Amino acid sequence: MRAIPTLKISISGVRGVVGDSLTPTLLTRFAQAFGTYVGGGRVVVGRDPRTSGEMVWRAVAAGLLSSGCRIIDLGVCPTPTVQLIVRRTEARGGIAITASHNPPEWNALKFVGADGLFLSADRGHELLDIYHQGDYTKVAGAEMRPIDAMPDALEVHIRAILDALGPLPQTPRRLRVIVDSCNGAGSIVTPRLLETLGAEVIAINVTPDGSFPRPAEPTPANLVALCDAVRQHRADIGFAQDMDADRLALVSGTGVPLSEERTLVLAARAVLAKTPGTVVTNLSTTHTLDQVAAQFGCRVARTKVGEANVTEGMLRERAVIGGEGNGGVIYPRINFARDSLVGMALVLHVLAESGRTLSQLDAELPPIHMVKRQLECPSHQIPAVLKQLRGTYAGSPMDLRDGVKVTLADGWFHVRGSNTEPVLRLVTEAEGAARAEEIADKIAAQIQTWAG
Amino acid sequence: MVHAAVVSGLLASGCEVVDLAVAPTPTLQLAVTWLDADGGISVTAGHNPAPWNALKLVRSDGLYLNEGQAEEVLDIFHQGEYEKATWDRISARVDVRDAIPHHLDTLARAFDTAAIRARRLRVAVDCCNGACALLMPRWLRALGCDLVLINDDPSAPFPHDPEPRLDTAAQTSALLRSTRADIGFVLDADGERVLIVDESGRALSEELTLALATSIRMRRRTGTVVTNVSTTGAIEKIAARYGGTVVRTPVGQAHISEALVEHHAVIGGEGNGAVAVPEVHATHDSAATIGLLLEHLAASGQPISALVGELPKLTMVKQRVAVAPNLIYTALGEFREAVERDAEGEVDSTDGVRVAWPDGWVHVRASNTESVIRIIAEAETDARARALVEWARERLRA
Repeated sequence: MRAIPTLKISISGVRGVVGDSLTPTLLTRFAQAFGTYVGGGRVVVGRDPRTSGEMVWRAVAAGLLSSGCRIIDLGVCPTPTVQLIVRRTEARGGIAITASHNPPEWNALKFVGADGLFLSADRGHELLDIYHQGDYTKVAGAEMRPIDAMPDALEVHIRAILDALGPLPQTPRRLRVIVDSCNGAGSIVTPRLLETLGAEVIAINVTPDGSFPRPAEPTPANLVALCDAVRQHRADIGFAQDMDADRLALVSGTGVPLSEERTLVLAARAVLAKTPGTVVTNLSTTHTLDQVAAQFGCRVARTKVGEANVTEGMLRERAVIGGEGNGGVIYPRINFARDSLVGMALVLHVLAESGRTLSQLDAELPPIHMVKRQLECPSHQIPAVLKQLRGTYAGSPMDLRDGVKVTLADGWFHVRGSNTEPVLRLVTEAEGAARAEEIADKIAAQIQTWAG
Repeated sequence: MVHAAVVSGLLASGCEVVDLAVAPTPTLQLAVTWLDADGGISVTAGHNPAPWNALKLVRSDGLYLNEGQAEEVLDIFHQGEYEKATWDRISARVDVRDAIPHHLDTLARAFDTAAIRARRLRVAVDCCNGACALLMPRWLRALGCDLVLINDDPSAPFPHDPEPRLDTAAQTSALLRSTRADIGFVLDADGERVLIVDESGRALSEELTLALATSIRMRRRTGTVVTNVSTTGAIEKIAARYGGTVVRTPVGQAHISEALVEHHAVIGGEGNGAVAVPEVHATHDSAATIGLLLEHLAASGQPISALVGELPKLTMVKQRVAVAPNLIYTALGEFREAVERDAEGEVDSTDGVRVAWPDGWVHVRASNTESVIRIIAEAETDARARALVEWARERLRA
């Protein structure tokens, strides 16, 4: 018996490698389990343009139909579109077929509840119980209905953003925007949204054919082509998405990529300026967000890492804005999901209304000095390493909801085990770049000794 | 649902998929060779009632897998280790094609369509709301027929059991009488079988479809007829009239098609109303069967009843005995022993047990598709045929 390192079945869905662990049988069974869990009825399905998407979609369709669901097929679309349409159509749930920022050989199912949120940990456990129990609802052929397409789903998404935020105000010169969709699910809808808002759009990597023109994660190192295009076209801003268009990264008019943490801070400032309220984010996100919120007399509540945790926290706190530091902006007035399209609209409104450049806006905000590292650590060693950390930093304020987060006099660090790989994720932040590196080096060295 | 599961499985194992959407099975079989495909899958339960569905597997020459090949597929299935295409090999798109025009072209080349068109025949057709509804009206209009169509909506439920039998032909019989059509056809759902209704509205047993087709074919060109061991003995009598020969195979299209090719037969088919016309394809095809019949009506100027009148007078009686699936072969084995003990008649074990006497025969076999044992008897009189069925029933119970 060998463990299959390319398959991860968890409360956040099923993730695997095509041609290896992610087989039609497994996918159909999961879709049957989900159809059984939601009790039949309408289920919305959308996918990113990976080469395996067609195979996965058909397996999912077979499972949903056999368990008595009526399918609304959105075809290739952003994950947040699936979440939005679930609520708009009052569906029982949704399945987003996407491995998000993972490399092309991966694909995954992400399960959405009737509220348009990813299944929470509790509900994810219930679904897994049904999956393992294996006794799925089966309906007779006569009760099965043809699959409904929803050709205007992307328009509905664009309209939802326009209705909430309106078109961009007049500026002396139309804002010129470069968008890099990574040939992903945002390829079709993003240029359309930006034009509808009133921007001048130049799009790169908008052929959703399953090829990856760059690594899908929209981190600064992966955005060279976008930065070049921004400079070449003298654009005001560059936007980068991941494969399923939930995350957003920004490039300034000078062709410099901003920290991906900046996206949420900018969006939060835009929202809090008009509607003060609580901000919810995860434990690993920049603390400059707290400083910005404080300027508006608002507070930040923190949750475990992961969209489902953040949205759950947002509901509890009645947050006006939330998200994650990896570029995931959640603006519940439009969509209770990490939505790069919503993030773009918020940021463009700030540019147009303030009349300032993105570089100027960035400079006005507290600088972000963070270090993010992955440290190899065998999965079975992770609890021992975390215990060592707790002991070593016993005197400092500590948050233990998700790994170990320690607040130091002049910064903080957060260490947690990955759900998917034998690694520890280390994030540090301090008032200066050197200090953030110093903290990271120290913690990494300690962990290396303990994991030895 | 089944279609989605099949497409997913094919893509995952590295196949390129051409989706013909809803199409008759013979249309798919023709398309496999037309598109140079490596195989085909028809999602249909043929004549089974509505709750059923099934996969029919077609090989690269458009014929069904034979028994040996089907066993190989089953071995792979049971072994459970399938090909898996990696992300850079997997087919990211499904090509959607309409194969019906190609089927229509192939049919048109095989028959004298000009002569049929000239006769302006009035034809009543019951498509049983099956895939045939997408093919047959177009084919018959191309033949210049005046159409009386019923049950031609493939999205609607089956109006009756989709097996063409005397008891499912009542609607078409009534239609013939009220519309004064020249001929009527009752089709199965996926395009293989056809039952004929004559101009007076009399439904002809599905056994007569092959007999009529053989008679039409032999008077033009004699040769070999292929049919199964359960089909009417009239076939031998007709073949003998024209100096032809008969090859008998086990029941099932796979056997008929392979024998048709091997023996260069001029026609083939089974007593269930399925006929293969080799000029079109070596597969059961109700559109080809209808082409052959209409060509005859046009050429002879005679009503179909005239041809029926020339057929040998034999009566066939069929019975289905429901048996639990795990007991079917035990029951058949005990039947064979009982028959051999009695040592009456001539016993043939090509497929199940067939016992022949000079004045009739009875055939007892397991259905390929349902949990039933089929008993078929034929004799020159109805009484004798019924007696043969009873004879078999007594030994089957034992």
